[in-house]
Amino acid sequence: MSNELTQTAKNGNTLAPHPPVERHVFTPPIDIYETDKGLILRADLPGVSLDTLELQVQDNKLTLFGRMEQSVPDNARLLHQEYEVGDFLRSFILSDEVDHQHIAAKLINGVLEVVLPKADKPEPRRIQVQTT
Amino acid sequence: MALFRWGHSWDAFHDLEREVDRLLQSVNLSLSFQGLRFGRQYPPVNLYELPTEYLITAELPGVKSEELELTIANGVLSMTGRHISPEGAAEERFRRQERPRGVWQRSISLPDRVKSDNLSAEFVNGILKIHLPKADEVKPRQIPVAFGT
Repeated sequence: MSNELTQTAKNGNTLAPHPPVERHVFTPPIDIYETDKGLILRADLPGVSLDTLELQVQDNKLTLFGRMEQSVPDNARLLHQEYEVGDFLRSFILSDEVDHQHIAAKLINGVLEVVLPKADKPEPRRIQVQTT
Repeated sequence: MALFRWGHSWDAFHDLEREVDRLLQSVNLSLSFQGLRFGRQYPPVNLYELPTEYLITAELPGVKSEELELTIANGVLSMTGRHISPEGAAEERFRRQERPRGVWQRSISLPDRVKSDNLSAEFVNGILKIHLPKADEVKPRQIPVAFGT
């Protein structure tokens, strides 16, 4: 993954380099729910592995890009098709409530889970007013 | 926005499909999240043929082996499962809820005779792969021809 991220940076921050064959780009379905500590985001990314997943935070935008891998042998003949192999792409605007530095993510059984912790609110600070 | 795109091999159906998409959108169905549309079966499956087996792949992200039941009888493969919503997440804490949930069931007629005893299945990154070895009688068989004297 780190290699891909480096490569992405070299290509001028384009997350999806143009593949030789046209691939479909899908918007993955997501759930977002609140916990006491922050927000949990889950995205369905079937067929995506750790090697083909990129997650990036830039400014206040979180972008996920996942490449679905063809999981059947080359000599398999397609008889019936209801889903296509493609890429998943979706971006989110993060609010100031989210602690950008401590975003954590894991990928289990084709589901990406991103933990977006709440940022600590700075303590109120007393400002001394001086008289002249 | 097309809710679903067929592959190139289905060009003949493309116009019809687009028309159905348009109709469904005009009805403004509440159940219209991406990839899963009213009337569409869940989960979506692909069927492949290999020299010695049939291969069914199904998109089932997040489903664990113990939440899935596979049965085969009379040439029909049945899949039953359930999507469990995350623990400790009350309904009112959801800001977005797009992923499918609840109980699902799907039956698929198999194209040919398969060895139902040797059926095997595996999960790879949220894709269920079911291997169905072909029964011996569907494999090509040489018939020796005897010459009469």
